[in-house]
Amino acid sequence: MKLLLVTGVDPWMRSVSTVHRYAAAGRALGHEVAVYGETNPELPGLPFTTDLAGVDLALFIVQIPDDLPDMPYLARLLDGIPRERRIVVDLWGRFNDTIRLDHDFNHLEKLDGHLASDWVEAFKAISGTILQPTLEPLRPDVQPFLFHGFDPDCVAGKSATAREAAAAWREATHEEKPYGFVYVGSNWHRWQQVRRFLEQYAPVRARVGKACLIGWDWAERPGWTIENGIAGIDTDPAFLSELDVDLYQGVRFDEVTGLLGKGRFAPVFHRPLFRHLGYVTNRTFETFCADSLPVLMLPRDFVTAIYGTAALKLVPGDDVAKHLTDALDNPQDYWDAVLQTREHLARHHSFARRFDELERLRSGSAS
Amino acid sequence: MNVLFVMEYRANAGNTHALTNYARVGAELGHNFALYGEPEPSAPDLPFSTDVHAFDRVIFLFESKLYVPKRLQEVSLLARFPREHRYILDADGKFNPLIVVDGYDRNYSSEDERAEWLSFYGALTDHIIKPTLATSEDTPATTLPFFGFNPAQVLPPEAAPPKKYDILHVGHNWWRWKEVAGELLPAFEQIRSQVGEIGFLGLWWDAMPEWAKHEDLEPAFRVETEAFRRLNIRAEPPVPYTEVIRTMSTGRVNIFTQRPFLAHVKHLTLRYFEEFCADTIPLLMLDQDLAAAVYGPAGRELTLPGRVADKILDALQRPEHYRGLVEEVRRYMLVHHPYRRRVEELVAALADGSASPAPLLRTEG
Repeated sequence: MKLLLVTGVDPWMRSVSTVHRYAAAGRALGHEVAVYGETNPELPGLPFTTDLAGVDLALFIVQIPDDLPDMPYLARLLDGIPRERRIVVDLWGRFNDTIRLDHDFNHLEKLDGHLASDWVEAFKAISGTILQPTLEPLRPDVQPFLFHGFDPDCVAGKSATAREAAAAWREATHEEKPYGFVYVGSNWHRWQQVRRFLEQYAPVRARVGKACLIGWDWAERPGWTIENGIAGIDTDPAFLSELDVDLYQGVRFDEVTGLLGKGRFAPVFHRPLFRHLGYVTNRTFETFCADSLPVLMLPRDFVTAIYGTAALKLVPGDDVAKHLTDALDNPQDYWDAVLQTREHLARHHSFARRFDELERLRSGSAS
Repeated sequence: MNVLFVMEYRANAGNTHALTNYARVGAELGHNFALYGEPEPSAPDLPFSTDVHAFDRVIFLFESKLYVPKRLQEVSLLARFPREHRYILDADGKFNPLIVVDGYDRNYSSEDERAEWLSFYGALTDHIIKPTLATSEDTPATTLPFFGFNPAQVLPPEAAPPKKYDILHVGHNWWRWKEVAGELLPAFEQIRSQVGEIGFLGLWWDAMPEWAKHEDLEPAFRVETEAFRRLNIRAEPPVPYTEVIRTMSTGRVNIFTQRPFLAHVKHLTLRYFEEFCADTIPLLMLDQDLAAAVYGPAGRELTLPGRVADKILDALQRPEHYRGLVEEVRRYMLVHHPYRRRVEELVAALADGSASPAPLLRTEG
């Protein structure tokens, strides 16, 4: 299959990591995969093309308006690839009625200039096939397609058994794992969850180790959100200072797994909108590639559906402190859950599986 | 036919006034013309729409920049209208080689800029429309006059506002300075003591915009503040398109200038016709043949080049004679340039695709 990925790729954010996985996995599976556009020297691992000849499927991977190309590329794309060979993957829940949860949202005109109707009409104009990365889309005219996936080849610090993994984890030096936990992700509607996690972690901080947040806007609420009256990107510098949390700016996508491994634990948070929609993200899977124990701050039914039942061991529920100390006391049980979950992910959420799904969708669209 | 224009809306600049005429006359002829976007309070007579499914053709009217709507709207537009139903109205003569007129006015600052425009045009459509009376033989694009005369907009003397100016120029300081400095100001020097108020209404007559230097556009906005001060010329701000004709009518004489590049490529503009709707005597900085081609024989007598001072004084001293010429021009335009005819020409071109496929890399000879 000649697969064209239409999306904006930024080494510092959004789905650039998954896009790399599609390129690599596609190549390994005998597909021809490229990102539409001119070569980006910051992303030497990605093939780019503006050649539309022979494209079997154009996958429009949309999060923000700029994921759609500008002119003249846009017209060439829409004119060059017939509608039945285009599919939209709606990664931020745009193809829904407007949703407000806490301060989170799927449409906000004052942020990007677009109303709900703009999103819906544009997606319909692109394709009759709209996909969302959830098992249960809200709209009947949307099909589930998780898009993101798990690549076992990217797993760091592979251990054959839970015992080995636990031993390596327990014996890691301070230089190897200077943090109790590392969260890599930007402060975009996640502060309430992170704060709650930190409050529960605080009593066991001395035993677990320092906390580290890596991503945009953890140190202070950005000025543009204040100027534009956009809530939900909050933080509390005094609270973070009191807990001696290390804060770093965002990092390139190819540093994420390594940085997650600098902590003994790696929590997974999904923004309120995505929790509501049952969305997966890149980090849903990528965290299991890190040499760290994932802490799944996610609903149990979602965890079961995506990760399998073994992963329930990695869900702390309301007692984060107890969960973390128990893992320190009995790491083998937790690493056993991690290894089982990795197997589950490799079986059900590999990129080979995603390509199979795309092939089926392509056949369905064509027919 | 249902035709959607896509253009940057500006109340005090650009081609908005022409589109209001297309909408009005189009409706009389059973056609539907609208400008893409949400309704603007400053354009009460212009229909706006974002319902792309209500239209059969789209015309992207490009002026000095490559305006596009917001990205998602752009997607809906391009997906709705197949390439063969998209048209470009090349108002600022970009679909030409890089041309520099008098070492001064130019359609592009560089070949790179031209390549960017033509790449954009080529991606959008093969159908380019040039607003000119010239035939299409010497150009790969379709030519249509596009702009027209609306007699209903003629302001009768009894309805006109009091005259404030003897000499008035309504339009922006955009590639006008060489003509103004080279011909108009020297003429004003000669006759200044014999005429009353002189006014230049529009953007950038008092000062160059800050951004002009950064965009290598300093020559387009050059001003001579000292000459304006010495000659007691009033530089006033622009007026919205709804007030243009009424404002022109505050001058006994209105001077019409066209930027040299557009005159060189023989493009018509909206102002060619608005001037003759006002209660004033338009005097034209056009060559006589072009004036005659657009306005008929009377047009020749209203031209200024080579005789600016004499002509202005004559017009002020013999207004009845010149009003007669203006009436003659209006009668000519009623026959040759009514918007009814313009709408029919445009609809015919859009209906049969005769806005011909243009090989975009071919240059005009």
